[in-house]
Amino acid sequence: MPVMEKTSAAKPKTTKVRRTSWKKHLVHLFLLPALVFYIWFQIYPIFSAFLNSFFAWDGLKRGAFIGLENFVRLFTESPFKETFFRGLGHNVIFFIGIVLTKLVVAFLLALFINSKIRGKEFFKMVIFMPKLLSVIVVGFLFSLILNPTYGALNTFLKFIGLEELARPWLGSPDTALYTIILVNSWYGLGFAVLIFLAGLQAIPTEIYDAAKIDGAFGLTMLWKMTVPLAMPSIMVMTILSFIGAFEAFELIFAMQGSQAGPYFSTDVLATYFYRLAFGSVAGGESIGLGSALAVVLFLMISSATAILLFFFRRKEYEQ
Amino acid sequence: MRRVGVWLFCAILMLVASACSSSPPSSNTGGQATGSAPTPAVEPAKGEPVELVMYSWRPEDKDAYAKFIAEFEKQHANIKVKFKPFKSTEYNTILSNSLTAGTGVDIVQLRPYSGATSIADAGYLLPIDDVKGVQDIPKPYLDSARGTDQKVYGVPLSINSAVIFYNKKILEDNGVQPPQTWDELIQVSQALKAKGIIPIAQAGKAAYLLSIAHSVIGTSAYGGNDYVEKMLSGEANFNDDAFKESIKRMQELTPFFPPDFIGIDDKDAQALFYTGKAAMYINGSYRLETFEKQSPDLPIDILPGLAKEKGGEAPMINWVDGSYGVVKATKHPEEAKIFMEFLASKEFGQMFSDDLSRLSAIAGVVPKHPLVQKMTQLSEKSMAPFLMLVHFGEGTPTTKTTFEDSLQGMYINKLTVDKVAEDTQASADKWFKPKK
Repeated sequence: MPVMEKTSAAKPKTTKVRRTSWKKHLVHLFLLPALVFYIWFQIYPIFSAFLNSFFAWDGLKRGAFIGLENFVRLFTESPFKETFFRGLGHNVIFFIGIVLTKLVVAFLLALFINSKIRGKEFFKMVIFMPKLLSVIVVGFLFSLILNPTYGALNTFLKFIGLEELARPWLGSPDTALYTIILVNSWYGLGFAVLIFLAGLQAIPTEIYDAAKIDGAFGLTMLWKMTVPLAMPSIMVMTILSFIGAFEAFELIFAMQGSQAGPYFSTDVLATYFYRLAFGSVAGGESIGLGSALAVVLFLMISSATAILLFFFRRKEYEQ
Repeated sequence: MRRVGVWLFCAILMLVASACSSSPPSSNTGGQATGSAPTPAVEPAKGEPVELVMYSWRPEDKDAYAKFIAEFEKQHANIKVKFKPFKSTEYNTILSNSLTAGTGVDIVQLRPYSGATSIADAGYLLPIDDVKGVQDIPKPYLDSARGTDQKVYGVPLSINSAVIFYNKKILEDNGVQPPQTWDELIQVSQALKAKGIIPIAQAGKAAYLLSIAHSVIGTSAYGGNDYVEKMLSGEANFNDDAFKESIKRMQELTPFFPPDFIGIDDKDAQALFYTGKAAMYINGSYRLETFEKQSPDLPIDILPGLAKEKGGEAPMINWVDGSYGVVKATKHPEEAKIFMEFLASKEFGQMFSDDLSRLSAIAGVVPKHPLVQKMTQLSEKSMAPFLMLVHFGEGTPTTKTTFEDSLQGMYINKLTVDKVAEDTQASADKWFKPKK
């Protein structure tokens, strides 16, 4: 009898294991189409860009293998080197701008929404609403609002007697890049607030209670308790902001076109890449140089992201 | 359950297999297109229409093309043509992507001169020398659509002239005569500005508009065709005082452009002109149709480029505005050539000129519109090429683009006149070989 029992108990276990493994494989099968698309649209273009960057191009025609010549030209030859470093500088300004506006403002807003106030959901909805729009629509709308001739912003400034503040926001090199950074921050603020809110809500309230008993209040509490405990969400947002700032393209393209004017004052590496690779049908060696720039951009973003991740992880362990 | 899983597996495999078997983008094989024989025509089965997809950079001509295509389809019931226009500034990108992908388009509008040559040389187009009517088109116009093998790859569409449009009423009401020389242009502009009117509705957000304006304003400053010949032979270059003078003129016009004109679009500049806020507007003759559509009662007239002295010859700045070519990868080359024959016909040329108020490149077409007639007469009297487009459209970035961008830099006080000339010459030095 005991033997019988053993046998009957073992049988269903085997079936369960088999069923689980079968289901597991089925899940993999369902992932296949997505994987194919991912390889096709993400992995293949990366390899294709790597490959194209090692060849000479004559218009749309691929020529001979030239090794690293496209990369060398990109960094040593005029006007490529000047345009590259100008674009890189604008990317850095973009990142600083986003960190200052999106991260700091979003964190403060998240703190505000997380406190005991009425109408939290309403505030959340209002802040997140721009994210529901397409970035191209946002760019187009702001181009109209900021138009120097009939734009709503300048008209409003003139109407309230602040005419001296009215200016060509997108038409002056002094303001164009900062204006786009502000529009970008407005657009992405809601997402950052949600990430921070999730981080803040994960902090156990008992910790605050204990800190209060120890006499911590106000800024001390914020600096010594809230910020360190919300560090994972700050880390996520900083990395996403970095990637976003170095990939910035759509909004600039929608508001200033591929020339990223005036006189390249809003030109970043991605708009420069677009112009270099696709901007001119007649352009001699554009695709090779454009691919080289894409490779450099890819390496810059991936290595800097890896460094940031390493830095933040270490900081997390220290805490 | 297992059977369902097997079926699912098979279905997914089929999906993946079908996705993989569709022809992949051939961006890596651009060179392979060269030299391969044209795809043989696939005759459509009786009653089954063949659809040709046609790309253009002129969304504003959509209605007119609907009419032209309807006329063609009346004569060729088995061929349908789908006109797909794209924004002019994004057209090059869309075109190069479509050509490298090798799918989706049969007939393409080609940028003139080096724009067409580079695509033809890369092997993406079918030669059309043997298409009826093509050889009747004047040779200088066909030159705008040749490959380096001297074969013709496009049917030239129209001749553009860069002109100064002016509002006759504004000038009359303010007691000023249409300017003929540089000095007169400055005097007229000063007089209009003093009365609160924007003298010239110029936009600068898209830099290409600046080189069009430069061709009208600057040609007489550097000496017109004689100087162009000297440049082509290497006797003159962009660093010469004569050419710098033409750039200086553009700088001196700044106070007469709309405030913050570098931040405004061409559409805004057009609106300033057709709403009567600005007295003059400089651009290609193709804007005539836009103005007549937007403001049919606007009293418009045109001026060619400026004369060197009062009563002297004012050159009309001309260029061929693109052509239509057949993509080598088309599945319907025969039908596409039939459509090319239609585009090269006098019938199409006349319709094109009449409906769009433009000068057709087809020989024998007499423009109906009095202003287009005037442009033709002025062109016959004295003509000069749009130097940057016709002769300096190559390089990475092109010398034309470098010049336009540098002009924009000059307007925002980032570059001096000398630096604009220097940058333009540096760009030309990289590729331009003077004719010996």
